[in-house]
Amino acid sequence: MFKRVLIANRGEIALRIQRTCRELGIETVAVYSEPDRNARHVREADHAVCIGPGAALESYLVIDKIIDAAKQTGAEAIHPGYGFLSENAALTEACDAAGITFIGPPGAAMQAMGDKVSARKLMEEAGVPVVPGANDIDINDLETATREGERIGYPLMVKAAAGGGGRGIRLVERAEDLADAMRAAGSEAASSFGDATIFLEKYVSPARHIEVQVMADSHGNVRTFGERECSIQRRNQKVLEEAPSIAVTPEIRKRLCDAAEAAARSCGYRNAGTVEFLMDNDGSFYFLEMNARLQVEHPVTELVYGVDLVALQLAVANGEAIPDDIGLAEPHGWAMEARINGEDAYNNFTPDLGLVEHVELPTGPGVRFDTMLFAGLDVPVFYDSLLGKLIVWAEDRELAVKRLRRALTDLLVVGIETNAPFHLALLDHPDFQSGNFSTGWLESTFEMPPQPEDDPRQRTALVVAAIAASVAGSAPAAGKSGGGRTKWLQATREHAIGLRVQSGGGGWRRRDIASK
Amino acid sequence: MASTRHRFEVDGEIQTVLVGDLNGLTSVTVGDEDPVVSDVTLSGVPGMVSMVIDGQPTRAYVARDGRDFKVTVEGRTFLIAAAGGGKRDRSGVGGASDPPGKITAPLAGVFVESRIAVGDTIEAGQPVFVIEAMKMQNEIQAPHAGTVTAVHFAAGDRVEKGDLVVEYDVTED
Repeated sequence: MFKRVLIANRGEIALRIQRTCRELGIETVAVYSEPDRNARHVREADHAVCIGPGAALESYLVIDKIIDAAKQTGAEAIHPGYGFLSENAALTEACDAAGITFIGPPGAAMQAMGDKVSARKLMEEAGVPVVPGANDIDINDLETATREGERIGYPLMVKAAAGGGGRGIRLVERAEDLADAMRAAGSEAASSFGDATIFLEKYVSPARHIEVQVMADSHGNVRTFGERECSIQRRNQKVLEEAPSIAVTPEIRKRLCDAAEAAARSCGYRNAGTVEFLMDNDGSFYFLEMNARLQVEHPVTELVYGVDLVALQLAVANGEAIPDDIGLAEPHGWAMEARINGEDAYNNFTPDLGLVEHVELPTGPGVRFDTMLFAGLDVPVFYDSLLGKLIVWAEDRELAVKRLRRALTDLLVVGIETNAPFHLALLDHPDFQSGNFSTGWLESTFEMPPQPEDDPRQRTALVVAAIAASVAGSAPAAGKSGGGRTKWLQATREHAIGLRVQSGGGGWRRRDIASK
Repeated sequence: MASTRHRFEVDGEIQTVLVGDLNGLTSVTVGDEDPVVSDVTLSGVPGMVSMVIDGQPTRAYVARDGRDFKVTVEGRTFLIAAAGGGKRDRSGVGGASDPPGKITAPLAGVFVESRIAVGDTIEAGQPVFVIEAMKMQNEIQAPHAGTVTAVHFAAGDRVEKGDLVVEYDVTED
């Protein structure tokens, strides 16, 4: 097995990969941008390398800096996580050239699948049904786009060929909105992925978003781990996922897994991947895309199949075969994941960032919280709003809903708003509870209930303020470091960092006191 | 603890709260209501307060903000202002919740583009500028109609939440 692995990512996914590495006795190398210097993924890694300023285009997306960091620290392999460079074939080529193992699919498979257009073509050849659409449209070629749009019919989706994670996608209801959508999708794709090619796809609705977890090794084995239900989406971003899906019977699951396996074999896939499908009410499904990476929502699969997908990724990348007896044959129990985002559920889900003053993290039976949160985290503006993933497992779906509600109530984040109130409202909605939803449901039907006018919590707050005022000095000052003194020092990597504990100690902030 | 009286301003109303000691429990009296007896624990984490109020366990996080308190109870944060302090507008900022004549940034991020220029006539609901934060482009709309008199940011500028971005003369109906 590898001795040292570099994780080319940040946030909760970098932490999640580090944990498996630590369990397997593998040293970890973190990379970080300047505003991330104090992040948990930096502090908890065995080695850490600063790779530049905050903008991802100057740090997490720069292949040369990642490769240099791996060489500098003697890392034998690179795990890309999700997002950033995870589906960038140029990184796999750079790894090959440098003699570093890339923990993911071969560049060719990634190119075939990562480019949504060539993936569509491959699937057509492999006999997997695809959504009607038009491939390879130049962002500036409005004439062709308009003609193809007429052929496909409205509403349709404009998608960036290199897109993913909900970015670079626009729904177009009418032909006259096509130009604006192309411009918006193209500019998002160019800034996020550096490629502005787009394609058009018929908008299949109502449909569920169902995806299948795939793992392939270099010995010709392809293993599937059932489906995930990802239909709860806002602005094409998944916000809550579950496994299994309430709409998938064992018979449908078999067909889905067979199609996913065919998809993986058609491109010589290796390592972890996800095949996404749109599924109609009658259980027929269309290939949407294959994500050539570990997915954000992989933990729900891990919990119902009893498998550590990152451990499998490492083994497969190391040339080992997928063990025959790994994981369960059928899903056991129910898993649900709520994405905890730094956004204000009561203000149109506007991103909220800044200093996290205090956190209390949920725990207990069946609760897993993969998160970057800690008291003192200053959420940077440069990256997406995902703070963590609150994942629960229970014996059945109803119990999983109850457990997630309990865990969400236990979560306390002070200093920034999170979407936890949204998740609580979602779990209480009868359509969600009965499983009667599709990808458009959240935006078309669900309404966020407003904050109560006469909120009993306000009275509690008043009482608490009075109690705090009566106990002198019991409340730390909000959001600013007080006159506290440096209580302890942590020597990290290139810099010694002084951790300043406020008088009263309600959180700490970094202060650089010396360079090496 | 000795009995203490505290005056706060909540939603424009002055509230008086009396905190006292009652056989080791804490008695809290809001205004002229009956006293509430509660078992208060100041936890090891400064700022955390656990209480049993009317038999219900409650926990809250309280932080001092100048003379005011910011209290988070079950996911909702309240500003409990010291009475007599300067009145501040703490309502939401940005777009629709701005007062007429000014448009502030509803979120921090990078100023992507202005859709308007000085001298332009704008209508209520018209997109006026775009801020990118966390890789999402957010379009900010004008809350009222008017004529633009100033745009304070240019493409690529860093914007903080609450920054004044656009000023305009409001058109009278």
